[in-house]
Amino acid sequence: MGYALVLVRSASLNLEAFARTTGTHPDLVRRLVALGVLDADRDAAGELWFARSQVAVMGRVQRLRAGFGLNYAAVGLVTDLLDRIAVLEAALQEARRPGR
Amino acid sequence: MPGGPRADRRDFYEILGVPRTATQDEIQRAYRQLARQNHPDVNKDPGAEDRFKEISEAYDVLSDPQTRRRYDAFGPDFRQVPEDTDPEAFQRSRAGAGTAGAGQARGAGGADGFGAGLGGDLGGIDIEDLLGGIFGGRAGRGFGPIPGADQEAELELTVEEAFQGGHRSVTLQGPDGQRPLDVRIPAGVTNGQRIRLAGQGGRGSEGAPNGDLYFVARIAPHPRYRIDGRDLYVDLPLAPWEAALGTSVAVETPRGEMKVKVPPGTSTGKRLRLRHYGLPHPRGNAGHLYAEVKIVVPTKLTDEERRLFEQLAAVSTFDPRRR
Repeated sequence: MGYALVLVRSASLNLEAFARTTGTHPDLVRRLVALGVLDADRDAAGELWFARSQVAVMGRVQRLRAGFGLNYAAVGLVTDLLDRIAVLEAALQEARRPGR
Repeated sequence: MPGGPRADRRDFYEILGVPRTATQDEIQRAYRQLARQNHPDVNKDPGAEDRFKEISEAYDVLSDPQTRRRYDAFGPDFRQVPEDTDPEAFQRSRAGAGTAGAGQARGAGGADGFGAGLGGDLGGIDIEDLLGGIFGGRAGRGFGPIPGADQEAELELTVEEAFQGGHRSVTLQGPDGQRPLDVRIPAGVTNGQRIRLAGQGGRGSEGAPNGDLYFVARIAPHPRYRIDGRDLYVDLPLAPWEAALGTSVAVETPRGEMKVKVPPGTSTGKRLRLRHYGLPHPRGNAGHLYAEVKIVVPTKLTDEERRLFEQLAAVSTFDPRRR
């Protein structure tokens, strides 16, 4: 089987669609937005809209909660730290690169 | 790739790295530490998820004194052994049958954390074991479907591969042994670019989608080319008279040899640009190739060369250090 580079689709999801896609309850999604764990935009009608990338964020939240029994506030802290580490590791990798 | 083969069931104590005499505290400490290191969201290595599940499975059994006792007595298939079995009688019957319990292959149902003995004696199954399979770990109980984590592995490429693109066969350690993958490398891939294999990452639980597997391209150091983004740099050694008088020399590029005109009066450090002779860009202009001039003198001069250089030194008023 061959695999090619795939463009990630980037259409937004509303709260219902996001909850359905991630297999979670809309109330939980709202709570995570309030905690700043999930990023969402609010339109003029007050409805929440989620970027596709937030589906993966939600998956990570669920795994961290399931794997470590973290509460949602702690999950927020852990995901922030993991993101910061990823940025630092990328910068380190870049700096270590041989050549120019 | 790290992560050993799982054809044989490893000993739970070995998995947690504790002696058989370990206290419950020691077991818990070992588990917490290993779980933190191997959680698929903390460790992007494709083998981490399987290690995490193994660790959780081991902890599931050893953290409960009752299941631990049964594991010690009856080995990895303790769930199939009826509750009231006498350990010594069990050992004798095992020895008689001539089968080594520890080396037995994993049952089909064992890989997801459920006991292989589900169809057998239900009385011998701990309820925790039954519910512990959601994320392969005891802490994963009752969370519903959870999508798999994305995984990352490095893919080292040569400059030539980055230039031409191509296919690369890669073998990763998967839950069911070796997992061969054919990765298409797009022409013009750059250092740090991620190649995504949709659905090839960590497995989702209860029908949730799998994560993606990303190969991060690392272009290996090349004896001739240095890389910056899509630009290539190559040394161009010149004799002093070539540099002073100008010349035309052949420069090797990934596209083959190219004639480069060196203008008269070229010093070390000057870059001669070969437009778009760098790495290709799938949706734009290719990078450039820069030939960097490096003036090289003979380590040993012939008498004639020495005479001519001395003559030049006497005649020339050029001072490279003049301010």
